[in-house]
Order: sequence, then structure tokens, then C-alpha cells
Amino acid sequence: MATRLQFENNCEVGVFSKLTNKYCLVAIGGSESFYSVFESELAGVIPVVKTSIAGTRIVGRMCAGNKNGLLLPHSTTDQELQHIRNCLPDEVVVQRVEERLSALGNCIACNDHVALTHPDLDRETEELIADVLGVEVFRQTIAGNILVGSYCVFSNRGGLVHPHTSIEDLDELSTLLQVPLVAGTVNRGSEVIAGGMTVNDWTAFCGSDTTATELSVIESVFKLREAQPTAIVDEMRRSLIDTYV
Amino acid sequence: MAPKKPRRKIEQSENSMKSKKGHNLVDFDDKLTHMATQSHKRPMKKRPTPMLTFSSFARCNLFSLPKFCNSSSSSPSTNSFSEESAISQRKNSKKVEETESSSDDYDDDEEDEVEDGTVQVDFEFFDPKPGDFHGVKLLLQRYLDNYQWDLSGFVDLILAQTTVGTVVKSAESEEDADDSDGDKEGADEEELFAVITALNLGRYQDNQCIKELKQYLLGVCKEDSTKVKLRQVLEKDARDAGLLVCQRFANCPYQVVLKLYEAVFDEISWATEDEPTQVLRDSFRFKHYLVITKILENKAQLLQKTVKRKAVWAEPVIYMKQEDEILHEMSSWSFKFELSAEELAPPEFKGYKKLGLVMLIKAEAIAKFLKKLKSSVETL
Repeated sequence: MATRLQFENNCEVGVFSKLTNKYCLVAIGGSESFYSVFESELAGVIPVVKTSIAGTRIVGRMCAGNKNGLLLPHSTTDQELQHIRNCLPDEVVVQRVEERLSALGNCIACNDHVALTHPDLDRETEELIADVLGVEVFRQTIAGNILVGSYCVFSNRGGLVHPHTSIEDLDELSTLLQVPLVAGTVNRGSEVIAGGMTVNDWTAFCGSDTTATELSVIESVFKLREAQPTAIVDEMRRSLIDTYV
Repeated sequence: MAPKKPRRKIEQSENSMKSKKGHNLVDFDDKLTHMATQSHKRPMKKRPTPMLTFSSFARCNLFSLPKFCNSSSSSPSTNSFSEESAISQRKNSKKVEETESSSDDYDDDEEDEVEDGTVQVDFEFFDPKPGDFHGVKLLLQRYLDNYQWDLSGFVDLILAQTTVGTVVKSAESEEDADDSDGDKEGADEEELFAVITALNLGRYQDNQCIKELKQYLLGVCKEDSTKVKLRQVLEKDARDAGLLVCQRFANCPYQVVLKLYEAVFDEISWATEDEPTQVLRDSFRFKHYLVITKILENKAQLLQKTVKRKAVWAEPVIYMKQEDEILHEMSSWSFKFELSAEELAPPEFKGYKKLGLVMLIKAEAIAKFLKKLKSSVETL
């Protein structure tokens, strides 16, 4: 199910929050209503953590993570790091990355299996991503934009990319990521997809300017319509077990 | 070129616009070599009155060019004004003045970096259209502080009123996008520099955004006597009241501002004659204008203590938009209110606190306001 909300009159929900299958990070400040929408959707299923990163509220753009781990920029303070480590489940590895490109959320787009990164990312960082997040890393551009983390967003079930992505690129990316992709917009024609929304395998949060058409595209490509957290486990069981001995 | 009000018979063909630009570029090549041989020191390094020169960009713009806007302003039939401002930066580089601090800059200490060439910037005035949504929304983000209200609806309202209202865009994107002409309009989306409009509070009183705006104003007004007058304007006299909205990016050159105000008041008077129905015509016969804006007030004065930390200027109030000072002088009443968002003042404004200001101006005072505005721009 996709929910529409705003952060202090700002529809860029993906900037102020980071959603994965195991946890959710939300910016502090802003009104309680922002936090409470996340809580109402996710409470009991995954922890919703209020935090800042490097003293900023743009938590969604500063960090990159999935169910296996979370990568934080070098500018994250020790208190923030500790707070996040405490609140997140133990299986999630939280790691601070020494990388010149500190807005990791803009440079890295990932789901639980694959990551797309900024072409200029350090080799050490790339290895760290593969290690901590447990993903296969590909250096890519999206519609000529190097900030892959900003212009595309994908979960384990589907993905949404910059509207000007060509068909060839779309096919190529779809093969790399092994999920269906669609070129579209969010927040009434905004091309910065990852800034306008955040998604995991069963729910999505979009800015309140998102039109009904955009929302229906999001719900169909990310397969959110009948999604419940438990349904994923059942589906995966079916696909994982191919022979009974 | 997007056509402006066709009924105003704009006779500007594509060719004439292009050749005009070509002509100006040639002019600037000469100017470039001339300027390169000169020192980079600004011609007049006097401390500006904290009025009208916003930044080095504006100062350069005002001092280095001859008067160019008079030719276009003399013909009221054309609704498009093209302004050329030379700023000393490489063309196509990121617009540094836009990415500077968001608050208005009276930055006197800013030393100019070595600058390479001159860039010509054309500011073009357009009627609002639905494609301007994101640009206008960005400008109005902090209009009511961080109050949660139907901002998108408000922006839609502004864009729907094409007869009264102007947006200012840069024409740079047109020169770059030679390959994708159809894309011209789309490229302009992010280039919106200013918006001005006047909305009749009575005509739109049923819109969610206007209701919330009225609620907000009544909520922040802490002075009872003014509140009564405010309530009168918002409720009983709403049909005669216009909300004057003017928002622009921080370094907007002052000539643009002057033209904006002239444009909107011209459009209002044209609308009173040209609108198709009597109801609409009457809706533009404003008796009052309501303005919501922000100012910086000397903290020391607020606390009524002696100024401990010396502010750069010992002005009691600094107006972030200079026309606000003229409007404030002429207002029938006004009130200040605290803003909830804690914003860090830039270092030169240490002793000041940002406050909101709401004022009501009589429609009769507008002619005087425009005259004063014009003279203050011309005395630079």
C-alpha cells in the first residue's frame, strides 16, 4: 500500500526518511505527524528510528542500506552512530564509510541483492558495499545522470527510474537488477524519484503531491496492492524450495 | 517564445527575438575585452544603504550597464520585458548567486573572486501556467513559515489565474536547448526566479488553502485591536481585499522587482476592464491589499536593552524585501508575529531576529508606492 504524506509542507519524503525491509530511519524535527504516519504503517513490524545524520535532517540522502546493513557517511557523529546501532536489529551491520562522496543515498541505490552506484565511487567503498550490504555492485548511470541513488528507486519486487531513461537502458538495468522497471515520475512530475518517495517490499511512502496516476504506477510496479509482510515469506518459500527430498 | 496575453497584440516574432539576442552577445564580446583590461574592483565600493543593492551581482548589474529597461517599459502593449544583466561569471556555470545564502544579502564584506567573463542573463516575464508548479512551490515554501497548509492548492490557484500574475524565468535555457526546441518549456521549469500575483480573498474564500491561510493569520495575530481589523478584512470585506504575493530568489536585481510590481498593478487595472464577466471584473476592483512578509528586527530593541553586541547597522528594522519598507510606511495597519522556525541569521545580522509582518495597504496608496519604488531604483 502506498501512503502520501509531507514533511513540513515539503513533499520530498525520500529525503527525510529511509525505508528498508528491516528498519526505517526518519528525520527528527518536523511535526509529529510525519513520524506518526510511519509508525502507524510499520509499528510492530520493523523499528522506526528517529535520527539525524551529520546533524542534518536529510537522513534519506545521506545513508544507504538494506536488510543486511546500513552505510553512513564519515560525517556522522559518534552519538548518532551509537543511537542508530542501538535501535536497529542486531542482524543489521551499521558501518561508517570514509568516502569523499558523503551523500551516500544519492550515490547508491540498492535492494537486498543488487546495488547500483555512482561511477566515481572509491574501490574500497564498493567493496564495503558488497560486504556490508551483501549485494552485487554495478557502476551505472541513469538517463545520463551519475547520481543513481537520486534518480532511481528499487525494491526486491520492482523499480522506478528517471522518466527520460531510454528503452535500451531500461532493459539493461532490468537485466542487471532482475526486477521489472518502469520509467516514471513522482510528486507531480518530479524526476528525482528517490527524493520524492521511499519504498520497501510491502509499503511505499510518497509525497502528497503525487498524482493518482503516479501512485497507481508505483503500486503496480512495486507490487504493493496485495502485499502484506507475511505474504513475502510465503512467496519466497515457494520460490526457494524447488525440490523436496 | 510562449505567447503572453494575445489580446495585447504582442508582435514579437521568433526572429526578432533571436536577432536581438545575437546583437547583444556581440555587444558583450566587446564589453568583455574592455572589462578584462579594467581592474576587478567594483566601481563604487560605498557601503550601500541597506535598501536596494542586494549583492555584488546586483551592484555590478546596476553600475555597469546603461539604462536599458526604459525602452521596453515605454510600450504598455507588450507584456514581455527582456532585461539583460551582465554578471561577471562564466556562462553555463552554476548560478552561484542562487545557491548562496537564502536570506537576503547585505553582505558588504564579500570580496569578489577573480571573474572570467561576462554572462548575459535575460529575465523574461510570463503569465503563470501549470508547468510552473514546482518553481512557484519552491518560492512559496516558507510563505506561511512552517505551518502545515494546502500549499499545493495555493500554487494551483496562482497558476490558474493567468490574467493577473506574472512569473519570471531566465531565457538562458532557450539558447542552450538548440537541439530540443520542444523541450524549451520543460527546461524552464527549474529556472523560475520570481512570482507575483494578487488573489481576491473573497473570490477564493471556499478554497481550502485560503481558509487555512486565514486561520493562520488569525492565529498568529497577538494584538487584539489589529485582530479585529484583520478579521474584518478576512471575513466581511474579503471581496474587496487582495492578497499580494511576491516571492523571489535572494539576489533578484532590483529592476526586475520594479517591473514585477508595475506588471501586476497594470494587469489588475486591465482585468477590471477585460474580464469576460461582471463578477470577475469586480473581483479585481481591490480596495485593500494584504501583504504577508518577513523582516529582521533588532533584537536589542525587542528586549529594550542597550545594544550589547554591535550589529553591523543599528537599524531598528531591516526589510528583507525593500519594497516592504515603502509599503509599511503606507500601510493602514500592520502587525508583527514570531516565526516558529528557528533560522540562523547570517553573521552580519547577529543582533537581529526574523519576524513575520502582515500589513494592509489601501488601493489608493498604490500609485504613490509605485512612484516611490521607481524613484528609489533610479537613485542608485
